[in-house]
Amino acid sequence: MFVSDVEKAASMNLMPSRSDLKAEAAPAAKPTIAMIEIDHVSQVFQTSSRQDHLALSDISLTVDDGAFVSILGPSGCGKSTLLYIVGGFVAPTRGTARMKGNPITGPGPDRGPVFQEFALFPWKSVLGNVMYGPRQQGVKAAEAEAQSRALIEMVGLKGFEHFYPKELSGGMKQRVALARTLAYHPAVLLMDEPFGALDAHTRTRLQNDLLNIWERDRKTVLFVTHSVEEAVFLSDKVVMMSRSPGRIRQIIDIDLPRPRRRTELLLDPRYQKYVVDIERMFDDAGDDELQP
Amino acid sequence: MNGRDATRDVLLGLIPIALLLAIWQGTVSLGLAPPTLLPPPGLVFMRMAQLLATASFNQEILATLFRLFAGFSIAVVLGIAIGLAAAVSPAINAAVRPVVRVLAPLPKVALYPALLLLLGFGHESKITLVAADALFPILLSTYYGASTVEQKLIWSAMAAGTPPREILFKVILPGAAPSILTGCRIGLVISCIVVFLAEMITSTDGLGHVLITAARTFQAVDMFVPLITISLLGLILNGLLQAVRSYLLRGFPEV
Repeated sequence: MFVSDVEKAASMNLMPSRSDLKAEAAPAAKPTIAMIEIDHVSQVFQTSSRQDHLALSDISLTVDDGAFVSILGPSGCGKSTLLYIVGGFVAPTRGTARMKGNPITGPGPDRGPVFQEFALFPWKSVLGNVMYGPRQQGVKAAEAEAQSRALIEMVGLKGFEHFYPKELSGGMKQRVALARTLAYHPAVLLMDEPFGALDAHTRTRLQNDLLNIWERDRKTVLFVTHSVEEAVFLSDKVVMMSRSPGRIRQIIDIDLPRPRRRTELLLDPRYQKYVVDIERMFDDAGDDELQP
Repeated sequence: MNGRDATRDVLLGLIPIALLLAIWQGTVSLGLAPPTLLPPPGLVFMRMAQLLATASFNQEILATLFRLFAGFSIAVVLGIAIGLAAAVSPAINAAVRPVVRVLAPLPKVALYPALLLLLGFGHESKITLVAADALFPILLSTYYGASTVEQKLIWSAMAAGTPPREILFKVILPGAAPSILTGCRIGLVISCIVVFLAEMITSTDGLGHVLITAARTFQAVDMFVPLITISLLGLILNGLLQAVRSYLLRGFPEV
C-alpha cells in the first residue's frame, strides 16, 4: 500500500543498526515483508436496541515489518476494535486480517497485546505475571525466571519481582504488562491506548522508555491512541481515523530522525508542523475529543 | 490494616459481646427471670468447662463437626463445579438456571422429613441437608464471579499461548476466587446453622441433640452449653476460613 518507512529511513542513513542487520541477512535487495495486512475489513455491532452499528467500514491497511504505526482517532472511531481484530480477539464481520500472509483466526503469541487497563493477573506477583508467557510456551521454569528477571530489570522494576500488581502504581503496572508481553517474543506489539490511564508525567516517561526499548529490536508496533502528540512522537506512520462509521481518513508518514529525544523534538519545527497539520485535519472534519 | 488498627478492632468487637453478657447477668441478678430457667452466664461457662473435659461431650462436638465439614465440603465442590460450568457454557447455564431458580428459595429444611425417610437418622440425612443449604450461595457467587472475570485477562492469557480449554483453570477460576470465597463464607455460616437445626429436629447425637434433650428435661444450664459451643465453633471456623482467604487472595485488592 505504501513504501516501507524502514527502507526509506535506512536509505537516509537514519537507522544504521537496522540497515546493517538487513545487509547481513540479505545482501540483495529484499522485498518488504508485510507483517500485517488488513483487507477490506468491516465490523458491525448490534446495539442494545437491536440496530446495526457500523463500527468499521471497509478498512484496508498494511503494516510493514519493523514499523511503528499509530492509529489515531476520536473515541468511538473503532480504532481499538481494529486492534482486537488483528489480535484475533474479535472476528471481523467482513474482510480478512492477515499476519505474514496467514489469515488471523484467533489470538496467538506472535501478536502481543498491551491494554490500557493493564490486565495483569492479580493473583500473580510481578515475576509470576512476566513468567506466564514463557511458561505457556514450554520454557523451563529456571530459564523462564532468568529471562523474566532480565525483562523486569529492562523495564526498570528491578527489586519489585515479588510485589503484587495492587502494590504498584499505574505506570509500574503498565511496565509489568509490557514486560509480560515482551516475554513471549511476539513479532507484533498491539498497544491499545497503553498510556491513556496514566498522569501526564508518567505518560511522558513511559513514552520515552517505550521508544528506547523499541530501538533495541524494532518490533512491529501497532499503537492505538487519541493523542496527536503521542502518535507523532512515537510513530513512523500515523493512520488517522474518523468515526461513524470508522474509516481511515488519511495515512501520514512521519519523517523525523531516530532515535528521537522528546526534548529535542518539541523544539523541532518539523515535529510541530506534523502535530498542527494533523490537528487541523481533525478540526476541519469537526471531530472533537482529540487530545492536543 | 496495621497491627494497631487490628488490635483496636478486636477490642471494639468485644464490647457488644461484653454488653450481651452483662444484660444476661443483669436479667438474672435483677430477678427478671428465675435462675432455674435462665442460669447466670458464669454458671453456664463453668458447666461448659466441666463438659469439655468429658469424652462424651467431645463425642457430640465431633459428630456435629463431621456433619458440618462433610456437608460444607460437598457444597463447595458442587457449587464451584456447577457455577463454573454454567458461567463458561451457555448450554449448561440454560439447563441449570431454571433448577437453581426453583430450588434456591425453597426452605431446604422442608426437605428434611423426606431426607430422614430416605437416608435414615444417621449422618447421611444431615450431611445432605447441610450440603443442600450451603450449595446455593456458593454456586451463585461462583457463577457471578466467573461471569465477570475481566475479558482482557482472558485475552492476555490466550495471546500468551494458553489454549482455550485451559483458560478455565488458569484464568477464570483464580479470577473468580474473591467471589467464590465470599460465597464459601456465607455457606459456612449456613452450614453451622443447619447442622444444629437438623440435630435438634431428629438425632441421637450432636450438639443440637444435647440442647433438645436438656430442654426437654428442664436442665437449663445444659441447654445453654451447646448453644455457646456452636457459636464458638462458628467463630473459630470463620477465622480459619478468613486465614485461608487472606492467603489465597493476597494479590487481590481489598481483602
